[in-house]
Amino acid sequence: MKNWMRLCAVAFLLCTVVGLSAATWTVNASGKVKKLAPVLASAQAGDTVRVLAGTYAEGTLTIDRPLTLIGIGRPVIDGAGGDGNVLTITASDVTVQGFMITGTKVSNMNDNAGIEVEKADNVKLTDNVMEHCFFAFHFANSRNPTVIGNTVNGDPEQSETSRANGIHLWHCSGATIEDNEVQNHRDGIYFEFVTDSHVRRNKSLNNSRYGLHFMFSHRDTYSDNLFQDNGAGVAVMFSKNVDMSRNRFIRNRGASSYGILLKEINDVKIDSNIFIDNTTALLVDGCNRGEIRGNIFQGNGWALRLFANATECHFTANSFTGNTFDMSTNGNPVFNSFSGNYWDRYQGYDLDHNGVGDVPFRPLSLFAMVNERMPYAVVLSRSLLTQLLDQAERLVPSMTPEGLEDDKPLMKSPHVTRNL
Amino acid sequence: MWKVYKYTLIDLARNKFVLGWTLLLLAISLGLFQLEDQPVKAMLSLSQVLLALVPLVASVFTIVYLYDAMEFTELLAVQPLRRSKILGGQMAALGTALVLGALVGTGIPLMLFLPGGASLTLILACVMLTLVFVAIGSLIAIKNREKARGVGLGLVVWFLFVLVYDAVLLWVMFAFSDYPIEPWIVPLAALDPIDLGRIMVLLKVDLAAMMGYSGAVYEKFFGNVRGILVALLALGAWVALPSAFAFRAFRRKDL
Repeated sequence: MKNWMRLCAVAFLLCTVVGLSAATWTVNASGKVKKLAPVLASAQAGDTVRVLAGTYAEGTLTIDRPLTLIGIGRPVIDGAGGDGNVLTITASDVTVQGFMITGTKVSNMNDNAGIEVEKADNVKLTDNVMEHCFFAFHFANSRNPTVIGNTVNGDPEQSETSRANGIHLWHCSGATIEDNEVQNHRDGIYFEFVTDSHVRRNKSLNNSRYGLHFMFSHRDTYSDNLFQDNGAGVAVMFSKNVDMSRNRFIRNRGASSYGILLKEINDVKIDSNIFIDNTTALLVDGCNRGEIRGNIFQGNGWALRLFANATECHFTANSFTGNTFDMSTNGNPVFNSFSGNYWDRYQGYDLDHNGVGDVPFRPLSLFAMVNERMPYAVVLSRSLLTQLLDQAERLVPSMTPEGLEDDKPLMKSPHVTRNL
Repeated sequence: MWKVYKYTLIDLARNKFVLGWTLLLLAISLGLFQLEDQPVKAMLSLSQVLLALVPLVASVFTIVYLYDAMEFTELLAVQPLRRSKILGGQMAALGTALVLGALVGTGIPLMLFLPGGASLTLILACVMLTLVFVAIGSLIAIKNREKARGVGLGLVVWFLFVLVYDAVLLWVMFAFSDYPIEPWIVPLAALDPIDLGRIMVLLKVDLAAMMGYSGAVYEKFFGNVRGILVALLALGAWVALPSAFAFRAFRRKDL
């Protein structure tokens, strides 16, 4: 016990000593210390720099030692005239909080960013506003980056070719991306080789390509995010152990636009997400071991496109309502299963009143198959003819794959469904 | 013409059929909205029923009514009245009565249970289809002297438009799927008024799926309000053309 007390005391002393040695600097655009760069150059590791409201246009600023930068009254850092970046962070344990950052250079050669973090661990970027940046946040080779509560507004006037990603991570691990809002960039959130990370409660809207795009990024979780009105929705590729829950994918429309596009994904869990008004809500192309449960698919063009190269994807307790097509496929995806979902097209009965329909439901309609071959046949949807064809096929299945059915279709949706 | 219109309308008001039709529509609409827990789903089922039923009733009722009113028409023709005014008054009255029936029978429930663009589009489609099939019915009634033949022809035309044409269209798509036929599909569909009405509804309800096909024509057609306007224009042509033929036939007809 005594030892433990002593240890505590030493630890406490150490803390205070470190705390005392850390100085606090104040930069004020209309005060004595007007410039930020000299302060960044002379501050010691561990110091705090308070920056008061005002505009600091000093080209590119570099932080090369562990500092805490705190903006008070949202000071503006304008990188115009610099090398393209606004703030370059090359040291670990840097915190940047409360700024507005603008003035990156559009480039096809360099990844110019509002805040670029290169080979620096534990960098915290919180509560910043990134205005019309090329890349907003660009992390490379960094561990444990934290990006929380930032507002990232790309330039809506820029064409897609002169836009870059909002939150861009390359070769990182342990990232925490929370409560950010990203708009009008190319990809809202972009991960490549990013592992063991969490993406929570972000909003990614109106981006010209993907709301969320990740590749080769394993063991990551994405939860409670909103992806809306993005040019191509969300695409996730070549990754393992992906967990996506309680996200909302809304109104991602276009010929190659998807709520989620799963391409070569192993061990994915897609749980309790909401897909509304997308052209294709969920495209599964080469996915092994998927657990897709408790999601709501409502009012989409295609709720589900399950390609024949998907295996062991299990769909349970999902609700399919008001979709033009519940499902389509390019072949015969028999190595996947459907059980206990709610389909609003189900016309079976439930004699024993256990809430489960007594005859299986076949989600793949004949017309969906016709449409897969001739996309222009979509003009005939909901016509008497296609209704009759689908009914006939349902009574005597001949063209749709035999084993593709939900053996326990629910009579009532497990979700409280909303109106369109 | 206004006198003919007025008296035909009064006669139609006395006729129990229009009232019955209105009540039937009301029953179907209300029933569907009561049965389905989701208004959108009810609206979709309703649109399928209406797109088939409205043309059938409009054309058959027009044909039957014009035959039954033949004596009155002959009486009018004796008067110093232009024939186009006689037929114009009768058709306008039929259109008014049936459109009112559709508006009361489907419009009120739709606006009550699912107010919005989709419902408005469906109502608009019903109104236009009513007018189209009043025009087609009139043409058939004038062209054929025998009532049974006229009604039969009306049924055949309805069946063609509601089912056979789509089957032919689907067959054409299959048969020519190796050729670049995409640009032709929408114009071909526009040759069927029932398809036009259906596409109008689709544009409101299934736009997400429509956007999935990027063929140039589709993108242009399905992009925005323009699609619905184009469909409306085509339906307008479907009212104008049979009407014009009906007037011509009626002018030359030996009563």
